[in-house]
Amino acid sequence: MELLGIFKDAVSAATAVDSLLREGFVEAQITSLTSFPYPDGVFVKTNQRIWFRWFTLGCGIIGAGVGFFLAAGTAWLYPVQTGDKPIIALFPTGIVTYELTMLFFMVGTIVGMFLEMKLPNFAHRLYDPDIAEGCIGISLSIHPGGEPVACEPGVRPTECIGGIALLSAAEQKERAEEIMRAADVLRITTEVQP
Amino acid sequence: MSEQPIHHKSASRMNDEMLSSLRPPTLRWYGLVFLLGAVVAWGLYAFTYQVMNGMYVTGLDRPVMWGVYIVNFVFWIGLSHSGTMVSAILRLSQANWRRPILRAAEAMTVFTVAVGGLFPLIHLGRNWVFFYLLPYPNQRGLWPNFRSPLLWDAMAITTYIIGSSLFLYLGMLPDLAVARDRANGWRLKLYTALAMGWRGTAREWVVYHQASTLMAALIIPVAVSVHSIVAWDFAVTVVPGWHSTIFPPYFVIGAIHSGVAAVITLMIIIRKVFHLEEYLTPLHFDNMGKLQLVITLLWSYAYFVEVQTTWYAHEPIEWEVFSFMSGKYTVALLVMLLGNSILPIIALCFKRLRRSIPAMLAITLLINVGMFIERFLIIVPSLSHKNMPFVWGTYSPSWVELSITAGAFAGFALMYTIFAKTFPMVAVSDVHEYESQKALISLGRTRVPSLVGKE
Repeated sequence: MELLGIFKDAVSAATAVDSLLREGFVEAQITSLTSFPYPDGVFVKTNQRIWFRWFTLGCGIIGAGVGFFLAAGTAWLYPVQTGDKPIIALFPTGIVTYELTMLFFMVGTIVGMFLEMKLPNFAHRLYDPDIAEGCIGISLSIHPGGEPVACEPGVRPTECIGGIALLSAAEQKERAEEIMRAADVLRITTEVQP
Repeated sequence: MSEQPIHHKSASRMNDEMLSSLRPPTLRWYGLVFLLGAVVAWGLYAFTYQVMNGMYVTGLDRPVMWGVYIVNFVFWIGLSHSGTMVSAILRLSQANWRRPILRAAEAMTVFTVAVGGLFPLIHLGRNWVFFYLLPYPNQRGLWPNFRSPLLWDAMAITTYIIGSSLFLYLGMLPDLAVARDRANGWRLKLYTALAMGWRGTAREWVVYHQASTLMAALIIPVAVSVHSIVAWDFAVTVVPGWHSTIFPPYFVIGAIHSGVAAVITLMIIIRKVFHLEEYLTPLHFDNMGKLQLVITLLWSYAYFVEVQTTWYAHEPIEWEVFSFMSGKYTVALLVMLLGNSILPIIALCFKRLRRSIPAMLAITLLINVGMFIERFLIIVPSLSHKNMPFVWGTYSPSWVELSITAGAFAGFALMYTIFAKTFPMVAVSDVHEYESQKALISLGRTRVPSLVGKE
């Protein structure tokens, strides 16, 4: 189950997040939805490690290999003897290798970024168009209830929770809604995930 | 226009203003598109005429086999430089005044490189076999020769156009989501597809920032390499006037010179047409003017070094080319020196002129006229008076080449006009971010602007 509260400003949204944390919800369950970036920690801290740059590096290395084998391999397979110049010319091979390395780096950056963001995702997810108009969304993933699980890297937010996990999902939702209302939420939307 | 400062406006009102370019087109807009479309159609007719009749319809003849098409190629690729490069450098240096100008600059790069990339193909003669340039195995047993600088061009331009397009798209991603949330009809479908389901979660923003910084760092060396390779088209030959070690840095500086000028020109047009006076303020023109002044000084230094070396060495054939150029094209040379160097240096030293929109428009247009002439003066005189006097000659472009050139300018303007009506022309999320981090704080007896930022 996911809950989305829409707040008109950063102060009320931050108050709601503070109160949710005091109630026993944990940071890994909460995220902010905004139309422009706020410094990390204004609402929530994103402590997860970012891996896509390794993907970019891998793509760059592949690009270097493709470029080198395209230029040097072609010259080697189809030799063009020009005077006493080498069959595999250093300068052109360097240029082609460089350009393809950079191309693969850039494409790898964009592809890696989308993979890390888990985009594209055209499935229906909790969202509110007012976020584009400057409102701030605070989204809370509600634990199904039962055994408390520590929130550690690698554990999905819906699977980890502190002491509040002893309550049922409906009770957790009720408490979260109360907290958001106390922080001047404009509206709350709930979605039950299948 | 409201006198209210930007930071007192609601986000919604700022969105209205920054996305005003997306409002339904007016009759004047359709008129402009029709006019530009007509010039493009004329250029296409001229190109078709050339394809049907052969290259003799151009002014190209021995010894000048590179003419206005190659001038255009170098000019447009040069223009493409600064859009992405300025944007990337300002992003990396976290210059806050960059924010409203990013989109105009990045879009300029994509369209100029698209236009520039067409000219080697137009110049080919047998254009229909242009794919011979691409390296792939084929039944003809022909492989492109990697030693040819033309193939380096193909590789570099392909890399640059893909990289610049990705850089432009990356910058637009959050703004496409904002546009999506306010759109309906075909625009809703378009923005939904392009926004990829972006919601602006804290995690998405962190990853997005890292990717933006990385892309900015990657695109700068690519931009430098592209114009260096264009310079090597000339410098690796043994043609007098071209065979010079300074050509790659000189071309890169020239490219940035014309590119920065073009960005300022476009900023002025966009500001006027879409009423963005509150977002593109005199401060932006002042800062861009200082940047232009630095580049102008660098270009002047590079040109001086190039000419001074030729003059001091007085190597006969090199000096012959320079003498021919300064004798036959005296007026063009003077216009180039005035437009590229003397007038901008004098004018841009004055804050009042840097902050004057009409003055900046005149200076930047003059710079690009000067840069087009400079490309011509590099290419044509060197080929006219090469090493063998019995094949010396001259060149003047035919109506076909001039029509295709006009079509290229109109084509760029047309693509830019349509883009500006389809996509946000101001980096909405960047401007919002800046405004949200700004505050007035009391310091002594006054209140001064302060900015939240991380180390």
